[in-house]
Amino acid sequence: MKMRSSQWLGLGILLSLLAFSVLGVSFSPYSMSEQNLNAIMEAPSAVHWLGTDQYGRSMLTRMAHAVGLSFALSLMCMLTSSIVGTAFGVWAAWGGKKVDSVLGVVVNILLALPGLVVVLLFAAIVPGSFLMLYLAISLVQWVEYFRVVRAITQGVIQSPARQSSAMMGFGRWYQFKRHIWPAISPSVFTLAAFGGASAILTMASLGFVYVGIQPPLAELGLMTVELFPYYSDAPWLLAQPLVVIALMVFAFHLLAGKRA
Amino acid sequence: MKVMLFKRLLQLITVIWGVGTLTFILMRSLPGDMAYRIAASRYGQDNVDSQAAALVREELKLDQSALTAYWHWLTDLMQLKLGDSLVSGLPVIDTVQHMLGHSLLLAFAGLIVSVLIAVPLGLLSAWRGNPLDSILMGLSSVIRSMPVFVIGVLFILLFALNWNLFPVAGFGSPAHLVLPAITLALSLAAVSNRVVRDSAKKTFQSAFYQFSQVKGLSLWQTFRRHGARNIALPVVAFFGIQLVSMIEGIVMIESLFSWPGIGHGLAHAIFARDIPVIQGSALMMGILFVLLNTLVDIICLWIDPRGVKNQ
Amino acid sequence: MSVLLKLTNVAVYADKTCLLEPMSLTLHQGEPLTILGQTGSGKSLLAQAIMGLLPENLTVSGDVEVFGRTMTIDERKALWGRDLVMLPQEPWNSLDPLMKGVDQVQEVYKFVREKTDEESLSLAENDLQHVGLEDNGHKRPGELSGGMAQRLAIAAATAGGAHVILADEPTKGLDVSRRDGIVSLLQTRSALGSLLTITHDVAVARQLGGLLLVMKEGRLVEQGEASQVLDYPKDDYTRELITAEPSAWTDIAPSVRKDSAENILVADKVSVKRGGRTLFDDLSFSIKKGEVVGVVGDSGCGKSSLGDALLNFLPVASGSITRFDKTAKPYQWLKLYQDPPSAFSASVTLGKLLDDLINLHGIDRARIAPLMDRLSLPKVILERNCLGVSGGELQRFAILRALLLDPVFLFADEPTSRLDPITAKEVTALLVELASEAGCAVLLVSHDPALVQKTCHQVITL
Repeated sequence: MKMRSSQWLGLGILLSLLAFSVLGVSFSPYSMSEQNLNAIMEAPSAVHWLGTDQYGRSMLTRMAHAVGLSFALSLMCMLTSSIVGTAFGVWAAWGGKKVDSVLGVVVNILLALPGLVVVLLFAAIVPGSFLMLYLAISLVQWVEYFRVVRAITQGVIQSPARQSSAMMGFGRWYQFKRHIWPAISPSVFTLAAFGGASAILTMASLGFVYVGIQPPLAELGLMTVELFPYYSDAPWLLAQPLVVIALMVFAFHLLAGKRA
Repeated sequence: MKVMLFKRLLQLITVIWGVGTLTFILMRSLPGDMAYRIAASRYGQDNVDSQAAALVREELKLDQSALTAYWHWLTDLMQLKLGDSLVSGLPVIDTVQHMLGHSLLLAFAGLIVSVLIAVPLGLLSAWRGNPLDSILMGLSSVIRSMPVFVIGVLFILLFALNWNLFPVAGFGSPAHLVLPAITLALSLAAVSNRVVRDSAKKTFQSAFYQFSQVKGLSLWQTFRRHGARNIALPVVAFFGIQLVSMIEGIVMIESLFSWPGIGHGLAHAIFARDIPVIQGSALMMGILFVLLNTLVDIICLWIDPRGVKNQ
Repeated sequence: MSVLLKLTNVAVYADKTCLLEPMSLTLHQGEPLTILGQTGSGKSLLAQAIMGLLPENLTVSGDVEVFGRTMTIDERKALWGRDLVMLPQEPWNSLDPLMKGVDQVQEVYKFVREKTDEESLSLAENDLQHVGLEDNGHKRPGELSGGMAQRLAIAAATAGGAHVILADEPTKGLDVSRRDGIVSLLQTRSALGSLLTITHDVAVARQLGGLLLVMKEGRLVEQGEASQVLDYPKDDYTRELITAEPSAWTDIAPSVRKDSAENILVADKVSVKRGGRTLFDDLSFSIKKGEVVGVVGDSGCGKSSLGDALLNFLPVASGSITRFDKTAKPYQWLKLYQDPPSAFSASVTLGKLLDDLINLHGIDRARIAPLMDRLSLPKVILERNCLGVSGGELQRFAILRALLLDPVFLFADEPTSRLDPITAKEVTALLVELASEAGCAVLLVSHDPALVQKTCHQVITL
């Protein structure tokens, strides 16, 4: 697949953030929750490159952890939901009427409520659980892949090209490889990039309303609310999570290339 | 039409069942003695005794087997018996109704402003082309990358705290509505202006648009007769898709601005583990979602009597 | 005869590339002018240049004179509808999909002729009656057939009172029976002015008469009285165009078929339904080994469905289809598709697709080169994917792929309708010739009775 320069830019931003996170977590001399009440809300300096928060914790360490957490969640959700959604989508289109209608019912149940409300309710069952967030977000996101993949696959199955391959004796795997996958892969890729962005957004949103990841863990949405009261004393602190969230989402959107 | 309404009815039932089931699981999965925990949250840690716990147990039917309790839970729900808040003790239905009014106010204010932003800008983008088009599209990309609460925080910082133009948060005067509504509107418009633009561009370039002028109609007549409806159709249909982000935006914006609506109520209730309110507000939100979806369907059908597309 | 339209050295460029070489022509009152040429010969650009409808990235040079006066694009635009009008190529796309047919005619009376609402409506209804659409005015374009949509477009286009009518491929995609009706409607509508028609269809040009211009690749190759040019063509290209018309073909039905050949398939009282509608009923026929069987009929009559039913893609509603050749494998019953690019995966090269087939069925590679020679397929196409070769080449490649499987039956579903006439003739001839040599029966579906008449042993009319 050929990528446009804006897509390379998106990938570049994401990889830099990932590198920042990995390096920050591994090499920072401070731990995420190490408080130092003598050095609160410091501006960036040689000691604390990104300053310290209201408890004197190293912002660099916390940001690195938070970014890592966001990446971990978004990649896990992306993988799970894309594989599950694609597999079920192809199966629904190709596995006969019965499979299709059963999967259709499941999907309609999931689509009956807005995704964030479903995730909120799941998050409420086990508060602060990363695993629950991951499951809930993946549960909401696979539906999108399912719908798109199913629609495209249905078209491919009706297509003369696929029909002609089947007529000439080619098996199902061949038909998938030559006809279905080339048709769905660009959309799956685009959806995955948007899905990555939306997983990050959802986690931050939950953190922001205090029902996501719980303190003292570092999470971008949570950090935004925690640092909000100090906006006038230390605006550079509040700016960090805000900028990073926007940057990650923007990078994923760039990577997606086209619009959903 | 009938098929569409039937589908939406089915969705409504699914919403009620889904919310009921999830909140039931939620209640059952509270760690420790559920009754004690709930009583503690209601009366304060120091005032819990076995009597209070028994009261709660009785009220939430916690002593029944899971299946019977589930059945009771659902039948109560079907009759819209939502119970009382565990925190305030007030009937959930009243609280939720009150919140719904506020949320609707915010939703419609946001929607109208977003239409006022997105439609003219989208048409302008399509009409004038570059460089205006690129500038507007770039701007909408940037806004789209910002979560709704980031936009909200920036607005608070600028308009409320820096320039003191509008109140930071709360409810009471029309001025309180301005920032939340604009935040919601901007986040919606950043996406829908593209849809308006694409749809308008497609229509302006379409063969029928050209043919109308070749027939002798003026540009303005062509726009009125053949432009408006054809442009509106995908835009309205898209709004059905955007409803999800609108509801999600409402949750975030209400929490940020302490706007006493459903989203704020839901987030608070989840934080306080106030199960009846969680259920009530999630339910209202779901019903709101279904109703707005139905409205969109009806409008689409009215614009395009050939039948709702993409269904 | 007053001059309505006069072009002097009109040429169209994309940057520096010339798409349409300088061309001059004069359209006189009462004398229709027809431009004949294949797709891609730049003839649509000419009509767009006259109207002032060229896309922005194209530039035009030369003078366009209307009613004896050289006019700028804006001046010509002011004439739209009232004096000058162009009929669209694709009527379905040119009518507002959301508006009732009658309203699309009525609005012209209302806005262009400035009549009252009631007057416009009755005038519009009157117009619809003239074009035979009186019962279909309330329908939206999506509910109309291609021919009906074209008649509606003609009514809407001429309601403004224009008598100078440019028609760009007005019969594209229409059945032969519908085609003639559209042509005569156009003639009536332009009786007070004149008609400039652009077409690839020799029959349409013949029917219209008047002056004829033949174009090839943006260049004028021949012009003169229509009957003169068509009966005594001077240019090779014109000759080729005329002989490519199926009605001008020599009989190419192969003679190798023996009457004693055994049946491979017998259909007995077959009827097929699609979407609750009976397409055809009580149809019986038999197909012999190596026989070429033609199926003709108007669009929507179930020609393709018949083929699909014979290949077991569609269930028959009643009756039976019996295959006699018990030794043939399922993959020896094959189909050739109408739209060649849609029948191939674009994800890999044609060579790769061919390799897939060879590996699957253990085909002898030595057979490929001679067969490719016969089909005049150059080796290089194997390195491209299906979007990188022409439609004619691709259809011939499809025939190659089918023949490698030693088919016993080949259902060719309008295999040449998307190809230009010259290529279509070559492909049809090759298909029939090679299939017969291989002893393969062919079911050839076409909307053109002449084509089937010239190529088939047996014809089924639906």
